[in-house]
Amino acid sequence: MNAPNRYELYVLEDGEKPVEVIEDTKIPNAATIKILKQDHTLGNMLRAQLLAMPQILFAGYKVPHPLHPYFLIKIQTDGTITPQALLDQACEKLIGTLSSLEAKFKREFSYKDVEGAVGAASAAPGAGGPAGHLDVDPYGAGASAGGGAGGGQGAGAGGSGGWSQGRDYLDL
Amino acid sequence: MQATTELEPTVRIRELTKDKVNFVLENVDLAFANSFRRVMMADLPTVAIDMVEIEVNTTVLPDEYIAHRLGMIPLLSSNCDEAIRYTRDCTCLAGCPFCSITLMLHVSCNDNNTMDVTSNHLEVLPFPEDQDIQADPGEELSKRGEYFGHPVGKNDPNAEPVLICKIRKGQELKVKCTVKKGIAKEHAKWSPCSAVAFEYDPYNKLRHTSYWYETDVRQEWPLGDNAKEEEAPRDDEPFDYLAKPTKFYLDVETDGSLSPQEVVMKGLAELQQKLANLIYGLKQGPELENQQQANGTGAEPSWNISSTAPAPAPIPPTSAWSGGASSQWGNTSPGQRSTSNAGWGASPQAGAWSSGATAGWSSPGQQSNGWNV
Ligand SMILES: [Zn+2]
Repeated sequence: MNAPNRYELYVLEDGEKPVEVIEDTKIPNAATIKILKQDHTLGNMLRAQLLAMPQILFAGYKVPHPLHPYFLIKIQTDGTITPQALLDQACEKLIGTLSSLEAKFKREFSYKDVEGAVGAASAAPGAGGPAGHLDVDPYGAGASAGGGAGGGQGAGAGGSGGWSQGRDYLDL
Repeated sequence: MQATTELEPTVRIRELTKDKVNFVLENVDLAFANSFRRVMMADLPTVAIDMVEIEVNTTVLPDEYIAHRLGMIPLLSSNCDEAIRYTRDCTCLAGCPFCSITLMLHVSCNDNNTMDVTSNHLEVLPFPEDQDIQADPGEELSKRGEYFGHPVGKNDPNAEPVLICKIRKGQELKVKCTVKKGIAKEHAKWSPCSAVAFEYDPYNKLRHTSYWYETDVRQEWPLGDNAKEEEAPRDDEPFDYLAKPTKFYLDVETDGSLSPQEVVMKGLAELQQKLANLIYGLKQGPELENQQQANGTGAEPSWNISSTAPAPAPIPPTSAWSGGASSQWGNTSPGQRSTSNAGWGASPQAGAWSSGATAGWSSPGQQSNGWNV
């Protein structure tokens, strides 16, 4: 009844700020940045990218509690750049990597299309219909023969594949 | 680390079928590859049955059981970004053709054989031609494919339907299902992936795992196919403690709601969107504070963020996959904040290295005072 909406775990509320920067008062060039409604997917990727950057002294992230939908990322730089600016650079770099990967995937997929392996999701199975179907059928024609785990009768009847049309143990 | 990031990432697709893509990803970080895996599993929207009104259920299965089984049925969700809204972003109160689809199921058994009630019995209800549609300027309906929201395999005579329950003579099942858009962080039924295989370092040269064995490791842990892609270590090879994984073997298998190609490309786009939103948030944060300090009354021309004005659109991804993807996240409903893509959820932990031993934060690499470094 009063359960919060599940999407509140990953959607920012009205007016909620996605980022909070808490500058470190004891360590120079350091800040802890709180990123709301994000998790390990972003946190770990950013941490790894930050560690690969030459200006970094420290980068680490944590999700303080699995039920609290935010993570903290702590950054210390060598002083040539602020932690916020370095985080910004890390994001830019990752976006660059992703978009170059995107182009490469696109090319690879287009080669596969030319080879005629598959089309889009909605493409009808072509000439290799039944055969192609079998190797994506998780139960398979063979499996359905022995697949009637519940009933000995059904196992024999279902040999032609698919859910058995005839009588099975429920009819007893 | 430097070597990893300076080389350009590469990808090679080894196999592509109707519902599966197998590829090798090289010259990226472990964290990067893992985030890509996570985003494909948990952050891509699809449609699934979310509400079930049971009118008649005289089957042996209880209502809740049937409702759960209906929810798990994969529905065709191609172009879900543009073809349907989240109900939370919609102008309607509780569901309309722009943010929901209705499926009906009515089956009764009248002969002496056991009858299967399957996903093929689900019928998509046509949109009611009422005033709602004319009043709303949304263009979602025109972005839908012919079979959007239909059960996967319903229009394919070669595909096996999904069994919902079995009924005998005199039993009947009549339900009305409401289909909603969602992501797998909310419920796994919205995941487009039925499985994502992820492997690296098939010879365990990096010693990221240790094998339990009775007498002989090699015999009890045979090498997988991916080992053919890499050089076997010599027996006297010293352990390289600085080595990092660079080659990742992924196999993305979908449940048919999206094609594997769509899953991969949307996954990359979604990661970019997350990063773009973070950049935007970093830039916006200090400005917002300045504005508040300056007691801004809307006179500032450069940033117009007030509680009533719609939030500025997030930065579009630097490269869009399909044409027209720029409107991908900025949803078209008026007056709504377009920040529906932030993600969180504990479900898709990276199994291999996120042992829960360290009080809740999971990461590869060392820990220092509670931080994954
Ligand atoms: Zn609506």
